[in-house]
Amino acid sequence: MTALAARAPAPAPGSLYRAAMVLAWNARTYRRTWRATVTISFLNPIFFLLSVGVLLGDLVDRRGADLGGLSYLEFVAPGLLAATAMQLGAGEGAFPVMAGLRWVRSYHAIAATPVRVPELLAGVLAWACLRLAVGTVVFAAVAAAFGAFTSPLAALAPAAAVLCGLAFAAPLAAVSASVDSSLALTGIFRFVLLPMFLLSGTFFPLERLPGWLEPVAWATPLWHGVALCRSLAAGDVDAAAALVHVGYLLALLALGAVLATRALERRLRQ
Amino acid sequence: MVEARGLSKRFGDFLAVDSVDFAVVAGETFGFLGPNGAGKSSTMRMIGAVSPRAGGELLVFGLDPAADGPAIRQRLGVVPQQDNLDLELTVFENLFVYGRYFGLPAKLVRERAQELLEFVQLAERRDHRVEPLSGGMKRRLTIARALVNAPELMLLDEPTTGLDPQARHAVWERLYRLKQQGVTLVLTTHYMDEAEQLCDRLVVMDRGRIVAEGSPRELIARYVEREVVELRFAAGGDGRAGTLDGVGKRVEVLADRVLIGTDDGDATVAAVHARGVEPDSVLVRRSTLEDVFLSITGRTLVD
Ligand SMILES: Nc1ncnc2c1ncn2[C@@H]1O[C@H](COP(=O)(O)OP(=O)(O)O)[C@@H](O)[C@H]1O
Ligand SMILES: [Mg+2]
Repeated sequence: MTALAARAPAPAPGSLYRAAMVLAWNARTYRRTWRATVTISFLNPIFFLLSVGVLLGDLVDRRGADLGGLSYLEFVAPGLLAATAMQLGAGEGAFPVMAGLRWVRSYHAIAATPVRVPELLAGVLAWACLRLAVGTVVFAAVAAAFGAFTSPLAALAPAAAVLCGLAFAAPLAAVSASVDSSLALTGIFRFVLLPMFLLSGTFFPLERLPGWLEPVAWATPLWHGVALCRSLAAGDVDAAAALVHVGYLLALLALGAVLATRALERRLRQ
Repeated sequence: MVEARGLSKRFGDFLAVDSVDFAVVAGETFGFLGPNGAGKSSTMRMIGAVSPRAGGELLVFGLDPAADGPAIRQRLGVVPQQDNLDLELTVFENLFVYGRYFGLPAKLVRERAQELLEFVQLAERRDHRVEPLSGGMKRRLTIARALVNAPELMLLDEPTTGLDPQARHAVWERLYRLKQQGVTLVLTTHYMDEAEQLCDRLVVMDRGRIVAEGSPRELIARYVEREVVELRFAAGGDGRAGTLDGVGKRVEVLADRVLIGTDDGDATVAAVHARGVEPDSVLVRRSTLEDVFLSITGRTLVD
């Protein structure tokens, strides 16, 4: 019987088209839900910038802290930029996948159409990328207005932050698609991302950490994002170091995407 | 349209679909009738090219789902057992977004969506959010969504389970119209009345296997008598059923009632009374697919 099976051509429009349709669907859904997320994605980071960067920073600067010649605001703003991207990216990776597979099951609806699982994931990550782009540009513009950036290279910092955010979005999508309840996600946000936010060089130089913790912080993706953003913001880019940061973040994005595709295939094509 | 031979599905060690054979031809309405856990959804998902088969052969539109999943899905309309509409979006948006996944131009999808909303009588709800709609409306919207790519074959997994009688009839009526328009329908159900109303041909499934096949009439003629006498007894009264042996052609003792298959209901009722059995209620009715299932498997369809 299979011998009779004619090979059919794939449906006319290509993969890129179908991924774009998934992106368009995400955007349409966002139009209905953006109010609920506007504080967490725009206002909170800016409050942080104000309270920690400007107000606390003033105290820190008066103590004459050694931050490689930067004021505390100049030091912390690019760190907050990367950390904001981490939070946005992690959220965009985790919760839409939970909703799509379990809460609303919209991914199951998509799985019955010609859309393939990698196209679905590409659309979801493209949407995360777009949200990250808007979030980081807005944040960077506010930081620039406060005088946090000293180099024109700072214009590239949002791009670095977007990469950092995606390096969280893809692995969290993989986790979301693999776990059986959102409890695991809550755990990750509380016990992995929050400590990372506090300890990965966002607020103080890594050398201030206890010796044993320093190499751990070095290994976190957030530190690579922070270091990349900070070097751009200050116009002090070491090409080799930047290459390591970008490579690390890209590798994490790729690994996350591969694992997420597999986990989604397992859920949607069982 | 669909041809399966020795088709199987396995979850771990468990054989959910055990080597089934069937064929669906263009224009007919084909049913899978069976209780929960029979393997109906698993079979539908294999036909829908979303679930790989564990063994056997399967062709949909002459294509192999393992190789040509997207091309098959392009030509299918799927109504899944569990609703998966986009609750945040409007009724119209649900159709529009879905239609775009098939690569159809926006203008065409918009026109079709409008027509389909009229077809499923949801045009007035066009711009309402989906979340607060009733179960019956959601089901009808899911049917409209499945039609947005003008599918050659429609797969409906328990289209009316969980709906109240009025909503069920509304869905049946829409499906009947589709059938008249020549759309090929494959549906699963554990309601014998649904199978009898809609299906030209059906297979009876139980524990992953096909146990009977034919039109509803053929199945009834082959497996059961023309009529059934239903006797209900007060709690604990079933012991009296023992004395009914031989009163009709077939006696089935269930937890809450006794069913007697017979070609002459009234004569059987008289015979029951002649034996001194006094049930609380007596009902003579035509045999249904439910009785077919009972006579083949010894169990009821809906527990
Ligand atoms: N994803 C799954 N993993 C494990 N077992 C499953 C899965 N899906 C279905 N089953 C089992 O396979 C059997 C057939 O299920 P299903 O095809 O859904 O039956 P039906 O649709 O007739 O109720 C059931 O015993 C069910 O528990
Ligand atoms: Mg089922």
